[in-house]
Amino acid sequence: MIDLQAETPEKTEKIKSDLLTVNMGPQHPATHGVLRVEIKTDSEIVAEATPYLGYLHRCMEKHSENLDYRGVIPFVDRMDYLGSMSMEWGYALTIEKMLGTEVPRRAEYIRTIVGELQRVASHLMFFGTYAIDLGAFSPFLYAFQDREDILRIFEELSGARLLYNYIWIGGVWNDINDDQLRRIAKFCDTMEENLKKYHTLVGGNAIFIGRTANVGVISEEMAYRYGATGPVLRGSGIDWDLRKKRPYGLYEELDFDVIVGKGEKGQVGDCWDRYQVRVLEMFESIKIIRQCLDGIEEGPIIGKVPKIIKVPAGEIYMRTECPRGELGYHLISDGGKTPYRLKVKSSCFTHVSMLGEMAPGQMIADFVASIGSIDIVLGEVDR
Amino acid sequence: MQDSVILMKVDDFFNWGRKNSLWPMTFGLACCAIEMMATGAAKYDLERFGCGAFMATPRRSDLMIVAGTVTLKMATRVKTLYEQMPEPKYVISMGSCANKGGPYWQHGYHVLKGVDEVVPVDVYVPGCPPRPEALIEGLMTLQKKIANERLLRDKWVKHA
Amino acid sequence: MHKEIVEFLNAQVPGCEATLVEAEVGDSTIFIQPSHIKAASLALRDSEKFQMNVLQVITGCDYEDRIEVSYILASFIFNTELILKVKLPKTDKDATVQIDSIVEVWTAADFQERECYDMIGVVFDGHPDFRRILCPEDWKGYPLRKDYVVEEVYNGMVVNPENKMNHEDHYFYKKIQEEQEDPKKVTFSWKD
Repeated sequence: MIDLQAETPEKTEKIKSDLLTVNMGPQHPATHGVLRVEIKTDSEIVAEATPYLGYLHRCMEKHSENLDYRGVIPFVDRMDYLGSMSMEWGYALTIEKMLGTEVPRRAEYIRTIVGELQRVASHLMFFGTYAIDLGAFSPFLYAFQDREDILRIFEELSGARLLYNYIWIGGVWNDINDDQLRRIAKFCDTMEENLKKYHTLVGGNAIFIGRTANVGVISEEMAYRYGATGPVLRGSGIDWDLRKKRPYGLYEELDFDVIVGKGEKGQVGDCWDRYQVRVLEMFESIKIIRQCLDGIEEGPIIGKVPKIIKVPAGEIYMRTECPRGELGYHLISDGGKTPYRLKVKSSCFTHVSMLGEMAPGQMIADFVASIGSIDIVLGEVDR
Repeated sequence: MQDSVILMKVDDFFNWGRKNSLWPMTFGLACCAIEMMATGAAKYDLERFGCGAFMATPRRSDLMIVAGTVTLKMATRVKTLYEQMPEPKYVISMGSCANKGGPYWQHGYHVLKGVDEVVPVDVYVPGCPPRPEALIEGLMTLQKKIANERLLRDKWVKHA
Repeated sequence: MHKEIVEFLNAQVPGCEATLVEAEVGDSTIFIQPSHIKAASLALRDSEKFQMNVLQVITGCDYEDRIEVSYILASFIFNTELILKVKLPKTDKDATVQIDSIVEVWTAADFQERECYDMIGVVFDGHPDFRRILCPEDWKGYPLRKDYVVEEVYNGMVVNPENKMNHEDHYFYKKIQEEQEDPKKVTFSWKD
């Protein structure tokens, strides 16, 4: 980051030129989809950045008002297509809490396992694409190789590679068998070994540290002001994880640590911290999966849910911890077969709004690093 | 002499070169883009079919894989990108959304019902999202289509 | 906790008329007068006792005669959350409703208010950069209102071309609509 103010006045006067407007996106390899950012630059330094959203606005909330409660699940999947299982889980919890449904223990175990596997898959995707953003290609290939193993397991469970419709209201759709459990256990072992390798390869790389340390710093105060959640909030050094603070599923009984950014390579809350939080979170996820594999119980996989779901009139706001941050469903029901209003609080939407304040004073290349580090999925931003 | 001369039609020669060096554009829209990336990555390896060099700019690419939902706000941009590509150019419509609106066909007030409303499409790949194998199949179908083109007769212009 | 907040608001912000709506299922909500939303937010943010330091979401819900705007606040210090609601009466079918912006209280409100305007049609006075966010700038109507009818042609593109519609599905959904006790409750973005 270059501070224009630090230079002597005469020198600044000489360098200063007119601002140039550069349009980044919607088709840009580093915007992770169809984000458009209008950047005003003074030579190589960003003076102002305005994000433009809505290029993937797919009217999910309108759809949910016109479909029955079970029919919303596929649309929920397609919001955050890298964390589908977590999206479904949050939605199912919202409806279950309103209905007062009890979820069988085995279903809770399966949900926790797939939820954490999804977190690993999502963070692997971040790991790969972030390395591409910063100019390294091979981590992408490594990450996808391991991600394919997870998708293989999900495919056997649900029949789909990316959008599952697997977690249903009251439980899960399909039972998991011993062979799959064995393979998940085997995957945990290989993944742990590989992750250590990858983390040394990328996180210890001098160029990578140079590109990410002290770049795109989000202070604690700024994170609260914008309502940041998830790895972005934890990267800023705040110990906040809904799995600990408001346990759902089986998280109360499980033992894991919350990873918090400590500013090892630079300031607290820089891109490197957010990268590290995500990578170390994968180790914690593996730890959780192992505990679930040890403790999984026999039993039914879906609880008692009426054939036609009618949620009693009222409203609820339910939050869960998704790979990208907190996901909130605000459901207003009027007692009918369809939701009256279903508002989705997406963490990515909040994080995108931070770009405008992060950008000024950064180099354009550092701005790309900042966009990558908040790990947005445009499907969830625009819904 | 026998070993170094190949006799073939001019059409076949050009088509052979074209179909085996398709350069797709790095252009992901939604969920299908992840499957497109998976197709290009380690396990499925699109490079085997001469189609792995993902270009970041439309001006250097000759295949556009429309991977995902095209919204009304995005539609004009998709058209602009298509027009920026040099001839000959091809379009694969990947996934239900790009084909016909997909799950958003009914209440999608902001969704374009099929990318063929704005750009001509050569191959449609169904699925939501299509598996990488399906995309590879779509690509090979496109290659077959290219192999049967008659360049000289059509005077180099595909969409005359 | 809700009762304490109601007492606190009524004491700190005179005239806000905070009332508690206790729910049997789901979350309880607090209604206040729309004119006092900024003062109430400031009071809740700065109070020692509640410290609502994060604005989670601003969302609207359309009813026949009014629009209800929900402000979901959370305290990451005491691990609490609160749904604060205001009722804004609708004068006309397509008319927008007005309320004060709270961007100065939480910066997070910036994008949330723009989205609320885009989807439901609530105008936030005093917002620094007020325009549509998801839909294009020249979009007509507010899509999440219950009486919204989709545009036929936008920018030269037919939104619902006849040859691309799955009519069997359309009839199937129409049947579901008729089976509802009150068919008016379900709105389809279709023109028959």
